[in-house]
Amino acid sequence: MKREKKLKELLNSWEETYKKGQLTLWIFLALQEDKMYVDEIRDFVITKSNGTITCEEQSLYRALRKYEQIDVLDYELRKGNKGPDRKYYFMTDLGQELFLEFVKRNIKLFYSEEIKKLLNL
Amino acid sequence: MKTISPNLLKFAGTALLLTIIFRFFLSHGIDKDSMSIVILSAFLYGLAMFFSGWYFGKKDREYLPFYDVGFRFHLATYLSHNLISELWFVFGFNSESEKISIIHITALIWGIILFFHFLFFLWTRKDAINDLDKDDLFE
Repeated sequence: MKREKKLKELLNSWEETYKKGQLTLWIFLALQEDKMYVDEIRDFVITKSNGTITCEEQSLYRALRKYEQIDVLDYELRKGNKGPDRKYYFMTDLGQELFLEFVKRNIKLFYSEEIKKLLNL
Repeated sequence: MKTISPNLLKFAGTALLLTIIFRFFLSHGIDKDSMSIVILSAFLYGLAMFFSGWYFGKKDREYLPFYDVGFRFHLATYLSHNLISELWFVFGFNSESEKISIIHITALIWGIILFFHFLFFLWTRKDAINDLDKDDLFE
């Protein structure tokens, strides 16, 4: 029991560190699927990450503003069910290139046979 | 690009208002020959400007991580202060003892300091991408 508790604590600690820097990847992943507005991106991130990545609305808005400012995201306005028009975000050409390059350099390496074997996949 | 952010505009509006209040009490104090009104108005103006800059600067950083070493807020302060000061004389709200040359000398000296701030701002551009802090782009 004591060991289990320690394992859980260590796992939580490691995951806390690991999750830092993950939000960008999950936002970009969401936008690979389709153009999305904030609530859809948030739902995608929470659902597809099995709840391991939480994203506060304010953090998400701030992140989207930043990506828009650095030209990796853009948006188009569409009518919502009620209230003001919704911003539907999408990746720009620069953003798409950035995403693909990042995946090539940082994600694909986990899919080599050697690493898969080490990961017991 | 959104270099002119909502918080910068709110700060500029606040700076304009505070400068009008300051100039009113300054001219009033000089008219009344009251050193205490002059000193108090200058002190409270400086304090209010500092805290509004601190407040809106903090909110601005939360909005987007602009990397400008405070230059945008400094420029907004310079423009607000000197615009109101010039207009104060143009509309004749100044005290008879106030001289416009003081406004021009202040603007010149302050302008030189602002220029060096601008050079420092340009020098730090290497740490920014589209005006944002390189180290705070991704989450």
